[in-house]
Amino acid sequence: MQEKAEIRSKYWLALFLVAAYTVPFGIGIYTDNVFFDLQWLADLTTVILNGIMQGGVYAMFAVGLTLIFGVMRIINVAHGELVMLGAYLTWMFFFYVGIDPLLALFLTLPIAFVIGVLIQKLLLNAVVGGPELTPLLITFGLGLTIIHIVEAIFTTDYRTIPYAPDALQISESINIGRSKIISFVMASFISISVFFFLKIHRIGKAIRATAQNADVAMVCGINIFHIYMITSGLAAALAVAGGALVSIQFGFNPETGVLYTLQAFAIIVLGGRGHYIGALIGGVMLAVIESLISFMIPNGTAMVEIASYGMMVFVLLIRPRGLMGPKEN
Amino acid sequence: MGQNEHLRNFGMLAVLIIILCVLPSNINLYQRSVILFTMMYVILSLSWNIISGYTGYVSFGHVMFYGIGAYATGILVVDYGWHWIATLGVGVFVSFVVSLCIGFPVLRLKGPYFAIAMLGAAEGTRVVATVWESLTHGGEGIGLPNVENSFETYFAMLVVMLATIIVSYWVGHSRFGIRLNAIREDEIAAESLGINTTFYKLSAFALSAIFPAAAGGIQAYKILYIDPETEFFILVTIYMKLFAMFGGKGTVIGPILGTFILYIVQEITWVKFPTAHLIAFGVFIVLVARFMPRGLMGYAIDKGWARKGMVH
Repeated sequence: MQEKAEIRSKYWLALFLVAAYTVPFGIGIYTDNVFFDLQWLADLTTVILNGIMQGGVYAMFAVGLTLIFGVMRIINVAHGELVMLGAYLTWMFFFYVGIDPLLALFLTLPIAFVIGVLIQKLLLNAVVGGPELTPLLITFGLGLTIIHIVEAIFTTDYRTIPYAPDALQISESINIGRSKIISFVMASFISISVFFFLKIHRIGKAIRATAQNADVAMVCGINIFHIYMITSGLAAALAVAGGALVSIQFGFNPETGVLYTLQAFAIIVLGGRGHYIGALIGGVMLAVIESLISFMIPNGTAMVEIASYGMMVFVLLIRPRGLMGPKEN
Repeated sequence: MGQNEHLRNFGMLAVLIIILCVLPSNINLYQRSVILFTMMYVILSLSWNIISGYTGYVSFGHVMFYGIGAYATGILVVDYGWHWIATLGVGVFVSFVVSLCIGFPVLRLKGPYFAIAMLGAAEGTRVVATVWESLTHGGEGIGLPNVENSFETYFAMLVVMLATIIVSYWVGHSRFGIRLNAIREDEIAAESLGINTTFYKLSAFALSAIFPAAAGGIQAYKILYIDPETEFFILVTIYMKLFAMFGGKGTVIGPILGTFILYIVQEITWVKFPTAHLIAFGVFIVLVARFMPRGLMGYAIDKGWARKGMVH
């Protein structure tokens, strides 16, 4: 019986995803934005490629969220604010010190790690394993604080970093921004390194052990509070790296963090909470559907937000464990 | 809880109402509107308390119902020329229907997932209000006809507040409320005792959706201009949550007390420190959630200053 429900929910999810990807095409045809000539197909290819590039970055910071969730069962709603903070840190290094945004990662990542460790030590360590809503409220308040501190310092103006603005010609009519490709490559590199860190390194193994069962990990001599702090630092570093890579592609202001939290959350719900590969796949899927929507639906950029919300709510309702998450008990 | 305690509680309520009735003619316009917005947040935090305090489903998107109420009033007054009191009923009805439609699927989610899904629903409503220009005038908002209304809105808010307090009190003292508490403590156990949890969760959700709609409608008529950004502003949800949590969620006095203290403090501070007061609010949420998760009333019970029955 359980098995049957399991399989049924899998089919429902597949059906939902197919529907979700067809709807933009349907609306596009209805509003005459779809043409089926060569030029349009080339545009479509560009959009999808852009979506995939974007997805790499989304996936990277979503991985941070999924790590925290997997290890501590905490949803960090300040995650997007850390992404935004990363963008501002990179911007500061770029404009005041003149460091290349990618080289600045060597400076921003340690800062981020320390921030993550501090958040964990001061606020979250005490509430791990307690009621699920307390950390949610704490990180929510934290996010609010970060937004308004940044707003007090930098105002609400949009900032951009002019970095590699030229486009790379792939074929006659398909081209992709160079900054997008650089971000994608960096993001994949970082995600893959973290993946292997988790698989191979001693600390990575300890993190996975804690995620599986904190009590048993403690019995085996792992100091789980250290592991919590490292995980949190790692997640913050991933978020800030995400911010750096986002900052060279788009403008940002203090309020953008909320959207990133939402996207990261939608991604980990879609991919399966606490599942690493799931988050990577979910990231690419969400980014592709977002770019399809903004490409085909008039006024679509306002709809992008709805896409992530809709995706998240429906996946939660149809199949709470997402694509490849662990079974709920 | 004996008859006497009910009497005493209603006595306290009566004193509050008498003060609030006498007050408006003796204070100036600004003070009147501060009191009005304090009463509005009492309504909002008490409503939030019904679903989140009693039932344990913490909603991060309650501003949605408030916005729906505001928009019902705005659209009907401006485009259809209704009398504003009548529009409140429509707002409440729409909000009720929306709460059932959204609550039915979303209340199946637990804990943080419900919270995030509600956040999503509220933001989604905001986007709809921005995009559906033929109905809502889109992002440019709706300007209402400017008339002197500080007294009528004040007393309308007072009536709605009274209704909210009485309903909250009833929820806190009836079998209905006890069943909600049972759902909060252990939903599966509640279900195994024969409580139709879906029905009770939905009723609590609908109950907590109708009062914000009325408050939103009155508020729209008071401030005379509404747009999606302010009516679906996430800060409104934050305020109602914070006021209720600070006072002590799951009680009736808690949210009232929390609102009266915090709203007036924030009204005084935000004039002087427009940005810093939001930072302070963020820090405050963190501190309350971390060190005083049960709020003032919980603290009072722990210290033995209040008996458990008294605060309900």
